[in-house]
Amino acid sequence: MHFISILALIFSPLVAASLLFSPFFKNNEVRIRRFSKGFASLHLLYSLGFLAFFNPVNDDISYYKEITFFGTSWIQPLGLKMAFGMDGISLLMVILTSFIFLLALIASKSNIRSKHKFYYSMIFLLQTALLGVFCARDMFLFFMFWELELIPMYFLIGQWGGGKCKASAMKFVLYTFLGSLFMLLGILLLHFYNFATYGNMTADFSTISVTAPEFPMFMQVLISILLLIGFAVKMPIVPLHTWLPDAHVDAPTPVSMILAAILLKMGAYGLIRFNMQLLPDAFKIIAPILMIFALINIIYTALIAYAQTDLKKIVAYSSISNMGIVILGLCSLNVIGFSGAIFQMIAHGVISAGLFMLVGIIYIRTKTREMVDLGGLGTAMPRLMGFALILALASVGLPLLMGFVGEFLVFLGAFNSSYDTIVPIKIYTVLAISILILSAAYMFRLLHKTFFANIFEKWNNLNDIMNHEFVVLFALVSAIGFFGIFPMAIINIIQPVLTDILQYLQI
Amino acid sequence: MEFLNNLKNIMLPEIIIILFIFIQIILSMILDLKHYKLSKWITVLGIFLATSMCTKVQIDPLYSGFKNAIISDNYTIFFKVLILVSSFFIVFLTKRTITTRRGNAFQFNSLILTAILGALTLVSSNDFITMFISMETLTFALFFLIAFERGHVSKEATFKYLIISAIASAVFLFGVSYLYGITGFFNFTSIYDYFIEKNPTLLYSMATIMITCGLAFKLGVIPFANWILDIYEGASTSVVTFLSIIPKVAMFGILARLLVFPLSYSFELTFVLVTISVVTAIWANGLAIRQTNIKRLLACSSSANAAYVLFAAALVSVFNLSTVLFYLIAYIFMNIGVFAAVIILESSEFSNYLYEFKNFAYTNPVFTLCFATCILGLAGFPITAGFISKVYLFSAIARSGLIFLPFLVILMFTIVISVYYYLRVVKLMFEKSDVVASEVIAHKTSSAIVILYCCATITIVLGICPSKIIELCQLIAYNV
Repeated sequence: MHFISILALIFSPLVAASLLFSPFFKNNEVRIRRFSKGFASLHLLYSLGFLAFFNPVNDDISYYKEITFFGTSWIQPLGLKMAFGMDGISLLMVILTSFIFLLALIASKSNIRSKHKFYYSMIFLLQTALLGVFCARDMFLFFMFWELELIPMYFLIGQWGGGKCKASAMKFVLYTFLGSLFMLLGILLLHFYNFATYGNMTADFSTISVTAPEFPMFMQVLISILLLIGFAVKMPIVPLHTWLPDAHVDAPTPVSMILAAILLKMGAYGLIRFNMQLLPDAFKIIAPILMIFALINIIYTALIAYAQTDLKKIVAYSSISNMGIVILGLCSLNVIGFSGAIFQMIAHGVISAGLFMLVGIIYIRTKTREMVDLGGLGTAMPRLMGFALILALASVGLPLLMGFVGEFLVFLGAFNSSYDTIVPIKIYTVLAISILILSAAYMFRLLHKTFFANIFEKWNNLNDIMNHEFVVLFALVSAIGFFGIFPMAIINIIQPVLTDILQYLQI
Repeated sequence: MEFLNNLKNIMLPEIIIILFIFIQIILSMILDLKHYKLSKWITVLGIFLATSMCTKVQIDPLYSGFKNAIISDNYTIFFKVLILVSSFFIVFLTKRTITTRRGNAFQFNSLILTAILGALTLVSSNDFITMFISMETLTFALFFLIAFERGHVSKEATFKYLIISAIASAVFLFGVSYLYGITGFFNFTSIYDYFIEKNPTLLYSMATIMITCGLAFKLGVIPFANWILDIYEGASTSVVTFLSIIPKVAMFGILARLLVFPLSYSFELTFVLVTISVVTAIWANGLAIRQTNIKRLLACSSSANAAYVLFAAALVSVFNLSTVLFYLIAYIFMNIGVFAAVIILESSEFSNYLYEFKNFAYTNPVFTLCFATCILGLAGFPITAGFISKVYLFSAIARSGLIFLPFLVILMFTIVISVYYYLRVVKLMFEKSDVVASEVIAHKTSSAIVILYCCATITIVLGICPSKIIELCQLIAYNV
């Protein structure tokens, strides 16, 4: 048990990043890559160790650890602590992070051609930032890691991307920075009003409680909305989503995988941590409105995805659509919908990473992502087509695959939810279920136009997937299959947290 | 006898500085002009002695000497140490200014010391006359420092600075005369006591607004902000470093005291200052987007940073004051770091234009890392002092009342703009280009390099464990 340390988990990627600058690596590309992959595999194993010692029955924070500097906490005068800890949701996100980072590093082999040392150190910095976001037990610490993630992402998109990558990277940073400033305002107000109401100078997630009636309701709703703006940019919720297609299209494949699989989940994670856990009463008020946004997210972006001709844009818009399902599940305010939402977060993380990998593999070989130019790839690349089929079916929500469980639970939860909204929630759910048809439409169109349809002579001599690409796709597909058949493996971990959160939220 | 006692008790740092000013002037008459190093080390010694004399100053209990014209407490000594430490750093950056000008090093350093003297007495002054004299001492030295660079650009800059400074002083004095007319006092404490019994009139608000507008000149905020771009471009970089830190720190020191004591009865003033600050933030950040010269860009940035601090200082409270102090500490080190980098570039024959920054990341990785740390610190990214200071400053503003929230939201929008132009500088350093020759940075500026590394380290350390410094700031703010 002693070797399981949350600080080692979070900060070891930073150590790895600094090791890359040691003279041992010089500019030896192969050695840098192998070291990075080896480190990421060890990190994944280490994070699985946390799963082994995790006790889901206990709803307290596991592996709690606080860093102190010369006997004082991080910012003592404001009561801020540099404290880390895990509950079920954090643990799942941490394992997903380690898993996707390993795969992204494997996928980097064929995508990254220059500045290797810089690239891998930035990836590791990003990993530390993301792990910090998921494990932080203090609002300001959460915010610090949330902002820290921008610097490596800026370089990763801007330096190794294609197209107008510099502009896209800047757009990504500015959008997120603006959103996070609103979030900061919300955090500051929450911190201050918690102090003013209870006289307790703290920003710890577990000690802040605003459920008591003394906390003014207007303030709760204001804070909740300010926080929501920050998370809505990241998630993204529809009017604030325009950075995402640009960033995805111009980012290199491994970065796209990380962006879709983990960075979008930060928004949903923040929504759970702040809006639902800390401000439950305010969330009950904004949930019906948020549900309308979720519906727009689901249907509107699915329709846009159908109109796209660029493969990566289709996958990017389908990501937004899938995040709409997550929001719908969170807004249903019952155990089924909620566990469905979290399952959908994990499922979408795995599936979208696979889809971006797929598009990346096609792009490397054909140098195009336009559906018009592609066609008949199935003859030259039968193995890739097999994987593509499974990934597309999982994305559409075929039973026994991972995508089905999340969507089914969300819709079930939303349909059974007992709310008083202007339009009954059952109607929302029925409308949202149309995503099953819409997603089938754009996914099968993608499959059809790429792998079947017109057979072009020029694509007959393409190489099928290489070993490292096979490993990535196989790992993702086996995860999809395993958790599609055995979803309780995930749901059992989050069950205690869910009941803990929902005891204040249930109507 | 009382005069000598006062001198002994609270004026020791100033006396040391005056002594070294005379030493410099005498040496300039008897020695050859080229003794750059000797002059520098004499200045450094003077500043060091003055800093160490700060421990001999009586601060607790509060000491007011010279018929209550000058006071000394924790707060003034904090600012004195801050001014002396930052000028200690800046003196090491002045080499290039003197050597390229073939100027008289002793004259230059005596001017620097005079400006420091003005700043030191400014923060500890307790009436408007002392304050005005110290302010003018500081400004007069700066006229000559700005004009020290060769060419007509610096002369033009000096002239502009002179005229705007004169107008600002006139506005300031006008306000002071009104205040004297109402109360019959120049002394801060007396004016504060006067209004405890009598209600402030509209004329009082008018006078306070005029006084703060006059002081706005030194801070580089609207209405007297338009000098800042040309003067930053025209003056030599080490002087600009001095200009962007010492007058600003001293002015915030005295402004915060003014806002706490004699000007604290005017509600209108708070709103005027908040509006000024927001307008300045919009103006400066908007202007910075189009700048291609790093010095002009930093001028906008310093103006914008002054606006953020002014916002927190305007909403007077003990907590706000502590955030202002911490912000100033963080800002000083990041700013010196950035200017040190600019000076290193200048002495390696790079111009100040941003497009020349290409390729640095590949030719000088450590330099780029430190430079980028300071720039990202100014932009407010985490694990730098800039992040903590911004969060801390905003936490103060956010708890000052819901009525200021819309202003704060506007301020945040302008900060997003500032992220754009700061990141552009960093981006250019990582860009590859074949056109610009990738020169290695010269090692003849070793002192500037050491200072850059120091500042980058301090920026990171303050960003990770700021607890002790924040506690210090709170201690000082609570004892004003």
